[in-house]
Amino acid sequence: MGKSQISNNIRTLRFLNGEMTQQQLAEKVGVTRQTIIAMEQEKYSPSLELAFRIALAFGVPLEEVFSYNPEDESNE
Amino acid sequence: MSFQEKNITVSLTTSTLILGYFIIRIIQLFQSESYNSTNVFRLWGIVIGLTIITTILGTILTHIVSAIIEAIKTGEENPKIEDFEDERDQLINLRGTKVTYIVLSIGVFLSMLAFVFGQPPLVMFSLLILSGSMAQVIGDISRLVLYRRGF
Repeated sequence: MGKSQISNNIRTLRFLNGEMTQQQLAEKVGVTRQTIIAMEQEKYSPSLELAFRIALAFGVPLEEVFSYNPEDESNE
Repeated sequence: MSFQEKNITVSLTTSTLILGYFIIRIIQLFQSESYNSTNVFRLWGIVIGLTIITTILGTILTHIVSAIIEAIKTGEENPKIEDFEDERDQLINLRGTKVTYIVLSIGVFLSMLAFVFGQPPLVMFSLLILSGSMAQVIGDISRLVLYRRGF
Protein backbone atom coordinates (compact mmCIF):
# COMPACT_ATOMS: atom_id res chain seq x y z
CA MET A 1 0.00 0.00 0.00
CA GLY A 2 1.16 3.51 -0.73
CA LYS A 3 3.04 2.63 -3.93
CA SER A 4 1.70 4.53 -6.88
CA GLN A 5 0.78 3.00 -10.24
CA ILE A 6 2.68 5.83 -11.83
CA SER A 7 6.39 5.18 -12.04
CA ASN A 8 8.98 7.80 -12.89
CA ASN A 9 12.58 8.34 -13.94
CA ILE A 10 13.18 11.45 -11.86
CA ARG A 11 16.25 10.04 -10.12
CA THR A 12 17.86 9.00 -13.45
CA LEU A 13 16.99 12.30 -15.10
CA ARG A 14 18.47 14.24 -12.20
CA PHE A 15 21.67 12.26 -12.61
CA LEU A 16 21.72 12.90 -16.36
CA ASN A 17 21.14 16.61 -15.81
CA GLY A 18 24.47 17.34 -14.17
CA GLU A 19 23.66 15.43 -10.99
CA MET A 20 20.96 17.90 -10.08
CA THR A 21 20.13 17.69 -6.38
CA GLN A 22 16.62 17.03 -5.05
CA GLN A 23 16.65 20.51 -3.54
CA GLN A 24 17.54 22.13 -6.88
CA LEU A 25 14.75 20.28 -8.66
CA ALA A 26 12.32 21.13 -5.86
CA GLU A 27 13.15 24.84 -6.19
CA LYS A 28 12.85 24.67 -9.97
CA VAL A 29 9.36 23.17 -9.91
CA GLY A 30 8.11 24.95 -6.76
CA VAL A 31 7.63 22.11 -4.28
CA THR A 32 9.42 20.95 -1.14
CA ARG A 33 12.33 18.50 -1.23
CA GLN A 34 10.13 16.04 0.70
CA THR A 35 7.70 15.93 -2.23
CA ILE A 36 10.54 15.12 -4.65
CA ILE A 37 11.68 12.35 -2.28
CA ALA A 38 8.11 10.98 -2.06
CA MET A 39 7.82 10.99 -5.87
CA GLU A 40 11.16 9.23 -6.33
CA GLN A 41 10.07 6.56 -3.86
CA GLU A 42 6.77 6.36 -5.80
CA LYS A 43 4.80 7.23 -2.68
CA TYR A 44 3.14 10.19 -4.34
CA SER A 45 1.72 10.78 -7.81
CA PRO A 46 2.03 14.45 -8.76
CA SER A 47 -0.71 16.57 -10.28
CA LEU A 48 -0.71 16.97 -14.03
CA GLU A 49 0.60 20.52 -13.70
CA LEU A 50 3.53 19.46 -11.50
CA ALA A 51 4.28 16.56 -13.82
CA PHE A 52 4.55 19.01 -16.74
CA ARG A 53 6.73 21.35 -14.69
CA ILE A 54 9.12 18.48 -13.89
CA ALA A 55 9.28 17.43 -17.54
CA LEU A 56 9.97 21.06 -18.48
CA ALA A 57 12.72 21.30 -15.85
CA PHE A 58 14.48 18.35 -17.51
CA GLY A 59 13.62 19.52 -21.03
CA VAL A 60 12.05 16.21 -22.02
CA PRO A 61 8.50 15.12 -22.95
CA LEU A 62 6.17 14.07 -20.13
CA GLU A 63 6.20 10.39 -21.11
CA GLU A 64 9.98 10.26 -20.68
CA VAL A 65 9.55 11.16 -17.03
CA PHE A 66 6.37 9.34 -16.06
CA SER A 67 4.77 6.07 -17.11
CA TYR A 68 1.52 4.45 -16.06
CA ASN A 69 1.49 0.75 -15.08
CA PRO A 70 -2.13 -0.47 -15.14
CA GLU A 71 -1.03 -4.11 -14.52
CA ASP A 72 -0.10 -3.09 -10.94
CA GLU A 73 -3.73 -2.09 -10.47
CA SER A 74 -5.06 -5.47 -11.64
CA ASN A 75 -2.65 -7.32 -9.29
CA GLU A 76 -4.13 -5.64 -6.19
CA MET B 1 11.17 15.05 8.63
CA SER B 2 9.67 18.03 6.79
CA PHE B 3 8.58 21.26 8.43
CA GLN B 4 4.91 20.32 8.00
CA GLU B 5 5.50 16.95 9.69
CA LYS B 6 7.23 18.67 12.60
CA ASN B 7 4.32 21.09 12.87
CA ILE B 8 1.80 18.22 12.92
CA THR B 9 3.88 16.34 15.52
CA VAL B 10 3.85 19.41 17.79
CA SER B 11 0.09 19.80 17.21
CA LEU B 12 -0.46 16.10 17.96
CA THR B 13 1.56 16.33 21.18
CA THR B 14 -0.29 19.40 22.46
CA SER B 15 -3.71 18.01 21.41
CA THR B 16 -2.97 14.74 23.23
CA LEU B 17 -1.90 16.62 26.36
CA ILE B 18 -5.05 18.77 26.24
CA LEU B 19 -7.21 15.67 25.72
CA GLY B 20 -5.49 13.98 28.66
CA TYR B 21 -5.97 17.07 30.82
CA PHE B 22 -9.68 17.18 29.89
CA ILE B 23 -10.27 13.50 30.71
CA ILE B 24 -8.41 13.76 34.04
CA ARG B 25 -10.33 16.90 35.02
CA ILE B 26 -13.69 15.32 34.14
CA ILE B 27 -12.83 12.24 36.25
CA GLN B 28 -11.75 14.52 39.12
CA LEU B 29 -15.03 16.47 38.87
CA PHE B 30 -17.00 13.22 39.03
CA GLN B 31 -15.01 11.92 42.00
CA SER B 32 -15.36 15.16 43.95
CA GLU B 33 -19.06 15.31 43.05
CA SER B 34 -18.59 18.79 41.61
CA TYR B 35 -19.68 17.87 38.09
CA ASN B 36 -21.87 20.93 37.59
CA SER B 37 -22.47 23.45 34.83
CA THR B 38 -20.09 26.07 36.27
CA ASN B 39 -17.13 23.67 36.41
CA VAL B 40 -17.89 21.97 33.10
CA PHE B 41 -18.22 25.27 31.19
CA ARG B 42 -15.07 26.58 32.88
CA LEU B 43 -13.32 23.45 31.65
CA TRP B 44 -14.74 24.11 28.17
CA GLY B 45 -13.20 27.58 28.25
CA ILE B 46 -9.84 26.26 29.46
CA VAL B 47 -9.71 23.54 26.79
CA ILE B 48 -10.66 25.91 23.94
CA GLY B 49 -8.30 28.62 25.22
CA LEU B 50 -5.43 26.15 25.61
CA THR B 51 -6.04 24.78 22.11
CA ILE B 52 -5.82 28.25 20.54
CA ILE B 53 -2.76 29.31 22.55
CA THR B 54 -0.83 26.06 22.03
CA THR B 55 -1.60 26.06 18.30
CA ILE B 56 -0.09 29.54 17.91
CA LEU B 57 2.84 28.90 20.25
CA GLY B 58 3.46 25.47 18.68
CA THR B 59 3.79 26.96 15.19
CA ILE B 60 6.16 29.67 16.44
CA LEU B 61 8.20 27.10 18.40
CA THR B 62 8.41 24.78 15.38
CA HIS B 63 9.72 27.68 13.27
CA ILE B 64 12.37 28.56 15.84
CA VAL B 65 13.50 24.97 16.45
CA SER B 66 13.56 24.21 12.69
CA ALA B 67 15.66 27.34 12.07
CA ILE B 68 18.12 26.35 14.82
CA ILE B 69 18.43 22.76 13.55
CA GLU B 70 18.87 23.97 9.96
CA ALA B 71 21.46 26.56 11.05
CA ILE B 72 23.46 23.87 12.85
CA LYS B 73 23.18 21.50 9.88
CA THR B 74 24.11 23.99 7.15
CA GLY B 75 26.25 26.41 9.13
CA GLU B 76 24.32 29.34 7.64
CA GLU B 77 23.31 32.31 9.75
CA ASN B 78 19.86 32.68 8.15
CA PRO B 79 18.91 29.21 6.97
CA LYS B 80 16.04 28.69 4.56
CA ILE B 81 13.13 26.69 5.99
CA GLU B 82 10.69 25.00 3.63
CA ASP B 83 7.65 26.20 5.56
CA PHE B 84 5.36 26.63 2.56
CA GLU B 85 2.64 24.13 1.69
CA ASP B 86 2.98 22.51 -1.71
CA GLU B 87 0.31 20.41 -3.45
CA ARG B 88 1.22 17.23 -1.52
CA ASP B 89 1.02 19.04 1.83
CA GLN B 90 -2.34 20.55 0.86
CA LEU B 91 -3.70 17.17 -0.21
CA ILE B 92 -2.56 15.50 3.02
CA ASN B 93 -3.99 18.38 5.02
CA LEU B 94 -7.30 18.02 3.19
CA ARG B 95 -7.47 14.27 3.87
CA GLY B 96 -6.55 14.83 7.51
CA THR B 97 -9.31 17.44 7.82
CA LYS B 98 -11.75 14.95 6.31
CA VAL B 99 -10.82 12.37 8.97
CA THR B 100 -11.15 15.05 11.67
CA TYR B 101 -14.65 15.96 10.48
CA ILE B 102 -15.76 12.32 10.27
CA VAL B 103 -14.64 11.66 13.88
CA LEU B 104 -16.18 14.94 15.04
CA SER B 105 -19.47 14.14 13.29
CA ILE B 106 -19.63 10.71 14.94
CA GLY B 107 -18.86 12.35 18.29
CA VAL B 108 -21.56 14.99 17.85
CA PHE B 109 -24.05 12.28 16.84
CA LEU B 110 -23.19 10.17 19.91
CA SER B 111 -23.51 13.18 22.24
CA MET B 112 -26.94 13.97 20.80
CA LEU B 113 -27.87 10.31 21.18
CA ALA B 114 -26.81 10.39 24.84
CA PHE B 115 -29.06 13.41 25.33
CA VAL B 116 -31.96 11.72 23.57
CA PHE B 117 -31.56 8.68 25.84
CA GLY B 118 -31.98 10.76 28.97
CA GLN B 119 -28.46 11.86 29.88
CA PRO B 120 -28.23 15.40 31.29
CA PRO B 121 -27.13 18.24 28.95
CA LEU B 122 -23.79 18.47 30.79
CA VAL B 123 -22.89 14.97 29.61
CA MET B 124 -23.73 16.02 26.07
CA PHE B 125 -21.48 19.10 26.34
CA SER B 126 -18.66 17.03 27.85
CA LEU B 127 -18.94 14.48 25.04
CA LEU B 128 -18.91 17.31 22.48
CA ILE B 129 -15.59 18.72 23.67
CA LEU B 130 -14.19 15.19 24.12
CA SER B 131 -15.04 14.29 20.53
CA GLY B 132 -13.59 17.61 19.30
CA SER B 133 -10.26 16.92 21.03
CA MET B 134 -10.23 13.30 19.88
CA ALA B 135 -11.02 14.35 16.31
CA GLN B 136 -8.02 16.69 16.35
CA VAL B 137 -5.72 13.92 17.62
CA ILE B 138 -6.98 11.32 15.13
CA GLY B 139 -6.80 13.85 12.27
CA ASP B 140 -3.16 14.63 13.12
CA ILE B 141 -2.29 10.91 13.33
CA SER B 142 -3.86 10.30 9.91
CA ARG B 143 -1.82 13.21 8.46
CA LEU B 144 1.41 11.75 9.84
CA VAL B 145 0.49 8.28 8.51
CA LEU B 146 -0.12 9.77 5.04
CA TYR B 147 3.25 11.53 5.14
CA ARG B 148 5.06 8.32 6.12
CA ARG B 149 3.11 5.74 4.10
CA GLY B 150 2.43 7.79 0.98
CA PHE B 151 -0.74 7.71 -1.11
